[in-house]
Amino acid sequence: MRSITLVASCLAALSSFVTAELNLSQPLRSKQVLSSAFKPPQVFKNANLVRTTNLDKAFPRETINVVIENIDTKPQSEYYLPFETSLISKVGGLEASDKKNPNLGAFKVEVVGFEEASSTEFYLIHLPKPLAPKEQQTLSITYSILSTLSPVPATIAQSEKQYVQYTFSAYTPSAYTTDKQKTKVKFPNGDIPDYTTLPADVNAENKADPQKQGSTFTYGPYEKIPAGAEQEVSVRYEFTKPLTHASLLERDIEVSHWGGNLAVEERYWLQNLGAKLKNHFSRVEWQKSSYMSPPTSALKALNLPLNPGALNPYFTDDIGNVSTSRFRPGKREALLELKPRYPVFGGWKYSFRVGWDANLSSYLRKVAGGDSYVLKVPFLEGPRQPEGIEYARVNLRVILPEGATNVKYSTVVPVIDSDTTLHRTFMDTIGRTTLSLTAINIVDDFRDRDLIVTYDYPWTAGFRKPVVITLGMFAIFATVWVVGSLDTSIGKKKTA
Amino acid sequence: MSSPLFDVWEAASASPYQPTVGKNSQFLIGSVLLFAAFILAGVFGLNRSFVNLSLLGVPASLAFGFGAVYMICAVGVYV
Repeated sequence: MRSITLVASCLAALSSFVTAELNLSQPLRSKQVLSSAFKPPQVFKNANLVRTTNLDKAFPRETINVVIENIDTKPQSEYYLPFETSLISKVGGLEASDKKNPNLGAFKVEVVGFEEASSTEFYLIHLPKPLAPKEQQTLSITYSILSTLSPVPATIAQSEKQYVQYTFSAYTPSAYTTDKQKTKVKFPNGDIPDYTTLPADVNAENKADPQKQGSTFTYGPYEKIPAGAEQEVSVRYEFTKPLTHASLLERDIEVSHWGGNLAVEERYWLQNLGAKLKNHFSRVEWQKSSYMSPPTSALKALNLPLNPGALNPYFTDDIGNVSTSRFRPGKREALLELKPRYPVFGGWKYSFRVGWDANLSSYLRKVAGGDSYVLKVPFLEGPRQPEGIEYARVNLRVILPEGATNVKYSTVVPVIDSDTTLHRTFMDTIGRTTLSLTAINIVDDFRDRDLIVTYDYPWTAGFRKPVVITLGMFAIFATVWVVGSLDTSIGKKKTA
Repeated sequence: MSSPLFDVWEAASASPYQPTVGKNSQFLIGSVLLFAAFILAGVFGLNRSFVNLSLLGVPASLAFGFGAVYMICAVGVYV
């Protein structure tokens, strides 16, 4: 028994070693470490910078459009973007691209840190083509900041409006001098009771800062802001929607060649980061107001749009089946409407699992010539809420058939870790090849990103399951025959 | 989006994976095979001999092996 485990673990170790070389999407596992004396070389300047902070959803989404100029004498390709150390762990889905030439795709982005604890860490953006001296390029940098909105007041009554506060720097943090910049803040509505005002002499046009236009505020323009300068401002606005945060999402995608089936199971650990209840929860008040369906800070329902052709959905939690769900299969999408067992108010948690099946033919194709297969599945499905949902950690497992080898994957979702292991479950002998991917700080904007996996699966490996059962059954027949032909009678054998 | 694997996916668009036995016929195939295995095992039980072991035992084992796989798939555990 021990030797089998040893061999299996050796195989697993070998297979992960082999696949690590082959994966086309490199995980961001390695973090470039710099000496504590490092400062980004001042080879760029930001000629013009416009930052848009969108507060429509339960997490701020930042878009920085910046015209960068090489002020060095040599071509440069490394652009540093600074974040406070406490903030960088909340930044998710950072992507950089060329605004004027979107065909170049997303640039390579990595996190760099320091040997010793430092108050600033950097994202390093690699320009695909070094920028020649005095040349300009327009970068578009987008990212979301997770679990950063704080409800003020921290406790509210059950049907009261919720207000949240967002604190940021009016000067966009940059490692380079910025000639001209402004920040636009887009609020979900016009109810903004508190915000920081800055003196007019800071503003380049000597206007009141911020400028208000409906539900949009503009901080700036500011001129000649040195590298690293910050000016903290806060805004407080109405957001009577849940701040849904998934501390963990485990997502399993299981491929079955025998059954022609793709089984998906998702396990959520949700939490509402909104304002807590001032008093006890009143079921009577909740029920009375539910007919009017007013905006509420509680999480009432989750809608999961699934791909067309989804079958056999289920929705369970620790207690068992949750009957308050509805499944609407459709030609364009199949909608799974879930209602948690209880409204999830601020500070409350809810964990559950959902799963469904689908026909494999829409997700798996056979590569011409050979025993290779290619699988295309969404990296993330999950609820589509108007206020959005954020995932602190997503563990995705693609469980391939037993005996699949040479696993390669490709995705545009920033993955921090990838591994190929074995997963043992029903009717397995050696275990199924499993590709595990981990991503952190993902938001629901990543729903439509695909994951493509290729693997080799020889037809001989496919017969492992029935052959093992056949051999087991034959062993029983043989045993029955051997035992049945034993002579256990007492006394002398009759020779005649 | 253009990546080498995405090109592989596009190139294979003509050959979506089709299982040998579709989802709708798994239960029928599985039950027929299991029933055949049951009958063959019964006949073997009536007359256990070395000849019958290979004549009945081998087909019964094969029928049981494939039948079990299809029956398990048919009831929803997609192995």
